[in-house]
Amino acid sequence: MAAPLSDTLTEEGEGRRILLAGGALLALAAGSWGLAHVRLGSLAAPVALAIATLKALVVALVFMRLAHGMRAARFALGIALGFIALLSVGVAADVLTR
Amino acid sequence: MAGAERAGEIELGPYRERAQRDEALRLGMFVFLGSETLLFAGLFALYAGYRAEYPLMFARGVELNEEWIGSVNTLVLLVSSMSAALAELSLRRGRAGAARALLLFTVLLGCLFLGLKGLEYAQHWQQGIRPGARYAYAALAGPGSSLFFTLYYLMTGLHALHVAAGLIALTWLGLSARISAGKTVELAVLYWHLVDIVWIFLWPLLYLIR
Repeated sequence: MAAPLSDTLTEEGEGRRILLAGGALLALAAGSWGLAHVRLGSLAAPVALAIATLKALVVALVFMRLAHGMRAARFALGIALGFIALLSVGVAADVLTR
Repeated sequence: MAGAERAGEIELGPYRERAQRDEALRLGMFVFLGSETLLFAGLFALYAGYRAEYPLMFARGVELNEEWIGSVNTLVLLVSSMSAALAELSLRRGRAGAARALLLFTVLLGCLFLGLKGLEYAQHWQQGIRPGARYAYAALAGPGSSLFFTLYYLMTGLHALHVAAGLIALTWLGLSARISAGKTVELAVLYWHLVDIVWIFLWPLLYLIR
């Protein structure tokens, strides 16, 4: 049985979204590489990591379909990110109090 | 008996419907990916702590890594993640042939990634840039230098193991006659995307931030 027209249109939209996300990822990677060759001083690390975070979000939201995925999956990953935030606070506290 | 119930070719196990089973599998995969993320987060935390202690040595260590290899590998993994996503979409559309081709293309890119990584390891090894007590690169000696490369080998090595595991899963699925049955392709593709996300952070830390 053929898929309903609305499903087909949604899936075509998804294909376009994946290609657009791929293009955005390549553009962001080019941005990371370009900015790595500009003297940014102490901003170099925050800028590079901010772009990396943006790329990771594109992969998670579009390729892994977290934007439209089940709430429980987002919750599971949210818990992991929460623990990473705790870990980061611990490392930062160690470095700042040396 | 519940275990013997089937929906088409799919064994339902303890679940009443296929949708319920699929949701449970997807949730289980995300919990697994969350634990994998924490594993790498520990190494990133170590990196941050030691980079704060030895900023100059880490910056010089980054300069010794082959930037072109790291950058080409980034492009390779980003494109492979896109092709994996398209493979999974093709499967949902019922196009098993296209899904198979895209999965095998993803595998090809993964092999290219590992090949380039191996090339960089070989170059470093020849120069004496080795992990731990085997570090013997005289041009960059001092506290922090061997630490940087020990972390480099640990982080990229663990990541490469994950790439290899993903490649085995994707190759098996790409060649499998039952590619369109079940949820396995989606789960393997989710795992591949995590491998990509980890590299997205390894690239600036090990190749770009000087």
